[in-house]
Amino acid sequence: MTTSAVRTPSGRDIRRFTAATARTRGGAGIGELLGDVYYAFITSAIGIGMAVGVVNTMRDALPPSSAAPAAGPDLSLPGLAALTVLAFVGVLLSLAGRLGPVGVGGAEATWWLSLPVDRRGLLRPVAVRLPLVAGAVSAVLLVLIDLGLRAQSGETLDRVLRVGAVGGLGAAALVLLAGVGQSFGAVRRRIATAGNVLLGLVPVLALVGGYSGWRPGDLPTPAPVIVVVLAVVVVAAGLLLDRRLARIPARDLRDSGSVASQAVGAMVSLDSRELGRALTDGAAPTRRRRVARFSWVSSAATALVAADLAVLRRSPRHLVQVVAAACVPAVVVGVRQIAVPGVLAAAFVVSGYVAMVATAEGARRAEMSPVLDRLLPLAAARVRTLRMVVPGVVMLLWSIAAFAAVARLEGDLSSWLALAVLSTPVWAGAAVRSAYRPSPDWSGPLVSTAAGALPVGVGGVLARGPDTVVLGLVPTGIAIVLGFVTPHLLIAQVVTSAIALAVGAHITTPKSVHA
Amino acid sequence: MSATPVVRVDDLVLSYGGEPVCAPVSFTIAAGRALALVGANGSGKSTVLRAVLGLLEPVSGSLQVLGRDVDEREELFRAQVSSVLDDDAYFPALTVAEHLLLTARGHGVRDPDDLTDELLEDFGLSDHADVLPVALSSGQRRRLLLAAGFARPRQLLVLDEPEQRLDQRMRAALAERLRAETDRGGAVLLATHDPELLESVAHRAVLVADDVSRRLSVADAARAIRAEPPR
Repeated sequence: MTTSAVRTPSGRDIRRFTAATARTRGGAGIGELLGDVYYAFITSAIGIGMAVGVVNTMRDALPPSSAAPAAGPDLSLPGLAALTVLAFVGVLLSLAGRLGPVGVGGAEATWWLSLPVDRRGLLRPVAVRLPLVAGAVSAVLLVLIDLGLRAQSGETLDRVLRVGAVGGLGAAALVLLAGVGQSFGAVRRRIATAGNVLLGLVPVLALVGGYSGWRPGDLPTPAPVIVVVLAVVVVAAGLLLDRRLARIPARDLRDSGSVASQAVGAMVSLDSRELGRALTDGAAPTRRRRVARFSWVSSAATALVAADLAVLRRSPRHLVQVVAAACVPAVVVGVRQIAVPGVLAAAFVVSGYVAMVATAEGARRAEMSPVLDRLLPLAAARVRTLRMVVPGVVMLLWSIAAFAAVARLEGDLSSWLALAVLSTPVWAGAAVRSAYRPSPDWSGPLVSTAAGALPVGVGGVLARGPDTVVLGLVPTGIAIVLGFVTPHLLIAQVVTSAIALAVGAHITTPKSVHA
Repeated sequence: MSATPVVRVDDLVLSYGGEPVCAPVSFTIAAGRALALVGANGSGKSTVLRAVLGLLEPVSGSLQVLGRDVDEREELFRAQVSSVLDDDAYFPALTVAEHLLLTARGHGVRDPDDLTDELLEDFGLSDHADVLPVALSSGQRRRLLLAAGFARPRQLLVLDEPEQRLDQRMRAALAERLRAETDRGGAVLLATHDPELLESVAHRAVLVADDVSRRLSVADAARAIRAEPPR
C-alpha cells in the first residue's frame, strides 16, 4: 500500500466530476444547449408530422373491410396490426439482448469500473437510458400503427392515450426485465435469441391465423387495469434492477458497453454495415460445436462461395430475416384492404431489400476484412461475381415465395414465376454493390434534410444498392402495378437484370498517378 | 509480513467458449514479492491476469486474492487491487492530469494534486499535463495508463506487458518503481516479454503454455524469453 486514503466518493460524485470537468472544456454554453434542444424538437416534430401524414393517407386510402375475400389465407387489418406489434416486441427483445441492456464501454469502462465506488451510482443513468428510449419510441409507434392500420374512424383521445401508455410502459418493462435477467447472469445471446424466435414466429402465426379464419374485427381499447399493471411492472422491475446494478460483473458491462458504443458510432456515421456487425457480433457464439469440413469445396471459386454460405448459415438472425421477409408479400395479399398493387409493390421492394441485406453478410464482412479474398488466386472482378452466388440462390427462393403470393392475387402462376427467376439477378447485383460501397464522404457540400444537414456524398454512398434495386426492378414493378406479366416486360427484366449483374461485378480501378 | 499470500492460484483452468486457454496454472505471491508470467503470444498470460482481476470466470481450480475468493464487484477488492491492462480508451474531454486526478479522487487519495504532479513528473508527462488524450502519442498514452495504476492505494499491482510502447529509459524507470513497490510491501503480478524487466523486478516466474504451465527461476524465465522467436 503506497498512498494514504480518505473516504472514497460515491459513484454519483465520480459521474458528476467527470461531466463537470468535461463541460468546462466543451465550450458549449446555454445558447448551444437550447439550440440543440430546439433542433431535436423540430426534427422530432417533422418526423412525427410526416408519420401522421402517412397514417392519414393510409386511413383515407384503405378500402372498407367488405372487399371481396382473397383466396387462401385471409387476415384482417386489426389482425395485421396485432402481428406487427408482436414483431416489434421481438425486435425490441432482440435489441435489448444484444445491447446489454446495461453496459459501460470505452473510457467509462477503463476509468470508472476499477474505482472502489458504488456501481449503482455510476450505472443508474445507463440503466434507465435504454428503457426510456424504448418506451418513447414504442409509445409513438403503437399509436401510429393503431391509427394507421385499424382504419376505424372516430378514434377517441382516450384510446390514443391508452394505446400509447401500453406501448411505452410495455416496452420499458420488457427492457427493464431484460436488465434484471442480465443482473442474474442471463446470457445476452439467449435474450437476443428469444427475440429472434418471436420475430420468426410472426409470419408463421400470420399464415396459421390466415388459414384458420382468425379475423379479429377490431382490437379492443386497452383497459385501465392493463395500464396500471404495466406501470407496476415497470416500477417493480426498475427498482429490482436498480438494487442489482452492482451485481452485474464488469466483464458483462464491458461486453454490452462495447456493442452499444459500436452501434451508436455506426448510427452517428450512418454506417449500416457497421451497425449490423455490432449487433451481430455482440450476440454471436465464440465457438462452434462442429467444424465444417467443406468436403464439396474443390476450387478457389467454390471455397469463396462456401465461406459466404457458412457465414449466412451461422447467423440465425439473418436466416430469420430472410424467412420473415419472404412471408411479407403473402401477408399483404392475405389482407383484403391492403392487397392493392401500390401497397404490394412497396411491400415487395421493402421486404425484398430486407432479405437481400441478410444474404450479403458474407460480402459485407469480406469488404471489411478480405482475408479469404487475398488468400485465393481470384481476380477482384471474379470475386465480386462469385459473391453474388449466395445472395442469388437465396433471393431466388425468396422471389419464388413472393411472386407465388402475387400470383395468388392475380393468377397466371407460370408467368409470375418466370419473372421471379428473371428478376433474381437484380437482387444479387444489388447485394454485392451495397456490400462493397465505400465509406461515406463527409467532405462534400451540405444539403438540408428533415433529419438535419447531410453532405451530398453521404447520400450518394448510402444509395449504392437501393439504386440498383429500384432501377433494376422497374419492369417487375410495372407488372405488379398492372397486375399481369407481358413478354415485353420479361425481356425488359432480362436486360435490367444483366445490367444489375454487371454493376455488381464492376470494380473501380484507381487511376494511375503520373508524377 | 502476513502469512496469507496476496494471491493464491491452484490448478486454475480458464477457457473461452469451452476450450481451455492454457494448461492449469498454480502460483502464490506473498506481500513484497513480484511474480512474472512468461510465455509465447497467445499462451494465456493475459487471460490469467484477467481471471485474477475477476474479469473472467475460472472453469475450475481456486483463485484467491488477499485471502478471499475473487469478486471484482466488491468495492474492497477494487480498492486493494490495481491493474494496467491493454486498454486504450480515454475521456476525450479530460486532460492527462484530470485522468490521474479522477483516479486518485475516486480512490479517496488524501492529496490527489500532489500525487498527480509526482506521477506526471515520474512518467515524463509533466509537459503534457494539460493535453487531451487525442494529442498524445501511443507511448505517452501507455505512460498515462501506467501512471494511473500508481495513482491510488493498492496491495496488489497487476500489469499486462507494461513494457509495451515504452522506450529504454522509461522501462528502466518503471523497473525501479516496481522494485520500490515490492520494497514497500506491495505485491506485483506482471506478464512480460522483456527479459531485462523480468530480471530486475521479478522474484519468481511462471511459464504459461498449452501443454504444461510450470514455475521457473527468474534466470530460466529470462532465458525462455530470449529463446522466443522474434515477434
